Amino acid sequence: MKFVGIVGNNAADSTNRTLLQYIKLHFAGQHEISLCEVKDLPAFNKPASHVAPAPIAEMSDQIAAADGVIIATPEYDHSVPAALINVLEWFAYTTQPLQDKPVLIVGASYGALGTSRAQGHLRTILNAPDIKARVLPGQEFLLGHSLQVFDQQGQLTDQAQVQSLEEHMADFEKFAAANR
Amino acid sequence: MKIIGVIGTNSENSATRQLLQFMQKQFAQQAQIELLEIKDYPMFNVSDDQSDSDLIAGDAARIEDADGVVIATSEHNRLIPSSLKSFLEWMSYKVHPFNSKPVMIVGTSITKQGSASAQLALRQIFDAPGVGGIVMPGNEFLLSSSRTAFDAAGNLKDQGTVDFLGKCFKTFLKFIQVADVLNTPEEIKYEPGTYAVTATGHNGTVPMKVTFSEDRIEDIDIDTSGETTGIADTVWERVPDQILNGQTLNVDVVSGASVTSRGVLDGVADAVALAGANPDVLKKRPKASKKVAAAPTEYQADVVVVGGGGAGLSAAATILEAGQKTILVEKFPALGGNTVRAGGPMNAANPEWQNTFAALPGEAETLKHLLEIPIDQIDPEYQADFKQLQAQLDAYLAGRKDVLFDSKLLHEIQTYLGGKRTDLKGNEIHGDYQLVKTLVDNALESVKWLEKVGVEFDPSEVSMPVGAKWRRGHKPLKEQGFAYISALQSYVEKHAGQILTETRVTKLLQENGKIVGLKARNADDQQVIIHANAVILAAGGFGANTKMVQKYNTYWTKVDDDIATSNSPAITGDGIELGTAVGADLVGMGFTQMMPVSDPVTGELFTGLQVPPANFVMVNQQGDRFVDEYESRDVLSQAAIDNGGLFYLIADNNIKATAYNTSQEKIDEQVAAGTLFRADTLEELARQIKVDPAELVKTINKYNSYVDAGKDPEFGKDVFDLKVEQAPFYATPRKPALHHTMGGLKIDPQTHVLNEEGQVIPGLYAAGEVAGGLHAGNRLGGNSLADIFTFGRIAARTAANEKPAPVETDATTGASQSDK
Repeated sequence: MKFVGIVGNNAADSTNRTLLQYIKLHFAGQHEISLCEVKDLPAFNKPASHVAPAPIAEMSDQIAAADGVIIATPEYDHSVPAALINVLEWFAYTTQPLQDKPVLIVGASYGALGTSRAQGHLRTILNAPDIKARVLPGQEFLLGHSLQVFDQQGQLTDQAQVQSLEEHMADFEKFAAANR
Repeated sequence: MKIIGVIGTNSENSATRQLLQFMQKQFAQQAQIELLEIKDYPMFNVSDDQSDSDLIAGDAARIEDADGVVIATSEHNRLIPSSLKSFLEWMSYKVHPFNSKPVMIVGTSITKQGSASAQLALRQIFDAPGVGGIVMPGNEFLLSSSRTAFDAAGNLKDQGTVDFLGKCFKTFLKFIQVADVLNTPEEIKYEPGTYAVTATGHNGTVPMKVTFSEDRIEDIDIDTSGETTGIADTVWERVPDQILNGQTLNVDVVSGASVTSRGVLDGVADAVALAGANPDVLKKRPKASKKVAAAPTEYQADVVVVGGGGAGLSAAATILEAGQKTILVEKFPALGGNTVRAGGPMNAANPEWQNTFAALPGEAETLKHLLEIPIDQIDPEYQADFKQLQAQLDAYLAGRKDVLFDSKLLHEIQTYLGGKRTDLKGNEIHGDYQLVKTLVDNALESVKWLEKVGVEFDPSEVSMPVGAKWRRGHKPLKEQGFAYISALQSYVEKHAGQILTETRVTKLLQENGKIVGLKARNADDQQVIIHANAVILAAGGFGANTKMVQKYNTYWTKVDDDIATSNSPAITGDGIELGTAVGADLVGMGFTQMMPVSDPVTGELFTGLQVPPANFVMVNQQGDRFVDEYESRDVLSQAAIDNGGLFYLIADNNIKATAYNTSQEKIDEQVAAGTLFRADTLEELARQIKVDPAELVKTINKYNSYVDAGKDPEFGKDVFDLKVEQAPFYATPRKPALHHTMGGLKIDPQTHVLNEEGQVIPGLYAAGEVAGGLHAGNRLGGNSLADIFTFGRIAARTAANEKPAPVETDATTGASQSDK
């Protein structure tokens, strides 16, 4: 299947980027996953025109052509980081590419909780009427202690996490197929 | 009662703004509500920290000063707008003004929900420890249908809504008092005594003793004898001072020395715990009182110098010698810039002294190679000097070639040839003849002048720093780069030169095209204005400003976002920006120098095992050699970049013995910290650095066979010392780091800064790494110190000589004045 992965962090170093890069490689045999960045995008300011700036339109086209979207969110202050909210605001206000699109939420954090609160907020946002994504229910992939679980080549070293990720992806594949 | 009202959106027409403006008017009797706009905030990004900016630091200070904060949010997709989230991220990253601050949430929406969901999320966000506001419970004010809620005068139309808002706000004013009770400092009791702990320093751990009485921290005694002199001096004094004065662990880190600052704070926190108290209580206490920003202070000087490194200090000292008044401004707390980080040797041709040393094998060869260069490969302006040098070399090689040769001309031609480079776009650059000539003709005088000022050189050693090409280095007897700074600083202070540290220049003042002084801001956020006849920019290059390097780079195929730097964090190109803001021209900005063998994280040169290049074995992340280890710095750097940046220096026990930078204790410390790898077999070492064991063993076996044969058919290395065979084996991770920026402000040999038309900008001079054109595409090792001390002094002499003559008050001028 064709998936788009959104790196929800604008930092130069992000374990959420590492996680998505890992997902892209690990599932390369089954799925074609292309990655998008939220960094360096214009700040959402509710322009009267409702027109998406070029990079948003481009990302939006990629999403429209995909079977599903995987969003990796970090957690800043118990919530979704501003840079990721910004992109979703643009989507909601302009092209709405996530309407009825299957979405899998994943997240990596330095601490133990693995972005559980941010994922809760992200679900709330994705359920808002102007976004209306179909988020895979009942599944949370929370990757805690993210600085310790990747080796220098970006491989996930914790086998239990690898297995859990494989299960999530298998469910997501079924979910995306059913929503096609 | 002072309240800050945060307008929680960046959009121009927002009901949140209207609501807060209404509250400001409506409750003017009860509280003074000041509005805070977030629309100019950059998107929060941990990789581009702007917490120090006027906007963010200023707003944080306003919030800290306020008794409470009202936040008005709108709702975007069930959450708060990204602009408000970004603002809160800035306010919870390096600054934490909301910590324990009473907060009231209000919200508006165009629809019926009135931001209920966004307000809930906002409450959760305030619960995050980094944000830390105390949000008033209940009293949820939701304004729905906001487009029709206000009349033309900006008043809320519905009286019921007005009354409810009034009730909520009145409760908030009471809530502020409740929150104050929570914020009363917790009592703390220590078990009196002295506790020994350790702090993290630059070169490992630093022992520290903290003494407590029953209710106070009485003394903090830090033993810094193992630390590099100069770099973190301010930390050892200032952080303990602030802890003791405020009896608090809520202390700002010292810029440029955040690691050591935190080290001290963590050490004291450990001691507090040992003394049976809770360090978190001290972390929540207010900061030691800081002076409030006062009205601008104004100063008058003949010459003001920007930058407190070697160039700036030698300029200031020279101005004082000329009997003029000088002020030196430095943005960091400590003087020294990059000079304190310098390895030490300074190039100057001094044949009389050099002739007392025996020539080394190979040196005659180097000179013969020079003789063989065809004249048409030499740029025209250097040809006459090159021919003269050839004559000198012929005479030397025919005569006493057993002693070390040198001459100003050899220094000149080596500087010129060493600096000649072509960038990726095919642009050729070589050193400006007048600048190179000025350098080599005056470098020895600079050495002598430094001796007079108080720098002691070691006459028993003529040294060749990395990349110098010749032995003409004058090395201070002790403390490397710090020797220069300490001698010059005491000279300037003794001769009544004024030094303003923590004073960051914001603007050069210009009148009728002439530079007449500058504006700056000091640590207390006070504006400083200095009027002067001349400004000397000696603020250094931009090696610690990766974005600026990437912007101008035309030489390297890639400059990574996360590239480390060997520079002081102060070296961010400020002087270049000050110059271009008044029209200065730039030269050679695309050329930068990398230090190939730097720590991948910190950029430090002297961690791990540093051995002579003859003993290095460099392998890439696949475990293969990729370059002749004896190559020049930029060949090594480009090769590393082509191989993914990160590489390893492989050593065995015998090679380890040739390391000049370390001790067994430091090695053990670094192995434990995971910054140096050690194993009993090559296979195990390979596994530690995640390369294929078979590949690494193959590479090393091949290398050992080349050492036996004295010849490296793969990469042509021809100077070998040791094989890799004796366990334990070591791998030091390395990566090129930004080291020196050759480009900068365009100057003439008298150091006048030139504008884009090639004309002098009156009153503006530049010296040192801030100026370009001298080193061109590549700087010889040992030439940077020669540069700063030579051009620093020339800048001062030129500026002092060009001081305008005082207006004569003779009869004619007297008459014209009385006419007015």
